[in-house]
Amino acid sequence: MRRGLLTTAVVFTALILQAAVVNRLPLPGGRPDLPVVVVVALALVGGPSYGAVLGFAVGLGADVLPPADHTLGRLALAYAIVGYLAGLVEDVEERSVLTTVAVVGIASAVAVILFAGIGALVGDNRITAAAVTRSLGATVIYDVVLAPFVVPLVSGAVRRTQLSGP
Amino acid sequence: MRDSRRARLVLAMLLLTAFTLITLDYRSGGGGPLRKIGNAVFGPVERAVGAVAHPIGSFFSGLGHLNSYKSENNRLKAQNQHLLQQLRLTDGDRAHLASAEKLLHLAGQAQFRIAAARVVAYGGAFGFESTATIDVGSQDGVRPNETVINGDGLVGKTLQVGPTTSTILLGNDPNFTAGARLEKTQQIGHVDGGGRNPMTFTLLGSQATMVPGDRLVTFASLNDRPFVAEVPIGRIVRIQPTPGQLFSTGVVAPYVNFSSVDVVGVVVGTPRTVPRDSLLPPSPTPSGTPSSPPATPSTPASGSPSGSPTPGRSP
Repeated sequence: MRRGLLTTAVVFTALILQAAVVNRLPLPGGRPDLPVVVVVALALVGGPSYGAVLGFAVGLGADVLPPADHTLGRLALAYAIVGYLAGLVEDVEERSVLTTVAVVGIASAVAVILFAGIGALVGDNRITAAAVTRSLGATVIYDVVLAPFVVPLVSGAVRRTQLSGP
Repeated sequence: MRDSRRARLVLAMLLLTAFTLITLDYRSGGGGPLRKIGNAVFGPVERAVGAVAHPIGSFFSGLGHLNSYKSENNRLKAQNQHLLQQLRLTDGDRAHLASAEKLLHLAGQAQFRIAAARVVAYGGAFGFESTATIDVGSQDGVRPNETVINGDGLVGKTLQVGPTTSTILLGNDPNFTAGARLEKTQQIGHVDGGGRNPMTFTLLGSQATMVPGDRLVTFASLNDRPFVAEVPIGRIVRIQPTPGQLFSTGVVAPYVNFSSVDVVGVVVGTPRTVPRDSLLPPSPTPSGTPSSPPATPSTPASGSPSGSPTPGRSP
């Protein structure tokens, strides 16, 4: 129960922060994708089926979050697969930072490729080879930079509620 | 590995659901009930957070100036930073006021009725989309497919409209297209957003010509939706070589900086006619900077069927 509330709060915060703050930052190249990092952090604790369900929910939220203007369900699909894959990685509390960073990097790349791939299938004008390459590079790099700060924070908070509460 | 048959089953079900959603939304062309719910739920939250987040952008863009204070001692440094921060915040306020004033000036000149708004959130989707949320909605009289401007010119058009917020498509989005007209020669064509590539203008008509420095304004859509006429868009900076193409294409430098749009106005009502070329900024020089004197004798409104001369630009 407490864990559910905490997860909802974390996800909601990540989605709103992404739209209202992160996308506003004047960063060169592109921007980090906070929801992917949060999905990975939670899936690492919860396992593959939890990760898939959570990823789907976060993606659906990002799909309907106001400035979004793409076919509904694209991010839900991308994040569900990312959550499943991240959940496959064994949960060890003293996992090295390097593993976490690598998982986040791979997850970001997978998310961008899936989102772009489905976009190409439904004929999205915005998906061009150049745009995909640029977005892939920027998202992976910025997410990898965010990972050492965000992942321990989120995973740690969730683990603590697990230990203290039911 | 923690893989199991159950997890794979869950994933398969979710993927099936996602594909169903994508198919349904694709066929209905967007704007379904889920998006309306999203607008109603997330819109007010974004409004609230966006209002707080406004200074953040200006704060971060000002950070670069701090490096020059390294040689001074810590106390002075801290004081300096504190003062600089205050300065930046008031700078932000001043910029906000100035852009609001410019917007009102342009709207007043054109006699557009506008709903003034601020951007509260930007779209992303891994950087593929250039969209934004603004803090006016159907309660303020905004409808889908209306022109969005700021003091510099064309910003974009409205897409979905919620009760108190609206989503706008910015001019640099690859899905953005607007009818446009060259000043003086009256040739028409269309401008297209290029994503991270520059905006382009394509002339319709193989006999039509343009030269770098030509300025562009919007060409009215049917019933003024999505675009009203005469809103400045930008100027041609160079002609793209398009071998094998029937129509010539030029690269456009837009007047609006799409990455830092803040104060905007949605055009909710227009006068019957706007004098031709009357809204263009006073900078016909190809070099570009809007520092030339306000008097522009080089742009007579010749050939204007309305016959009205270019009105004097108030300084």
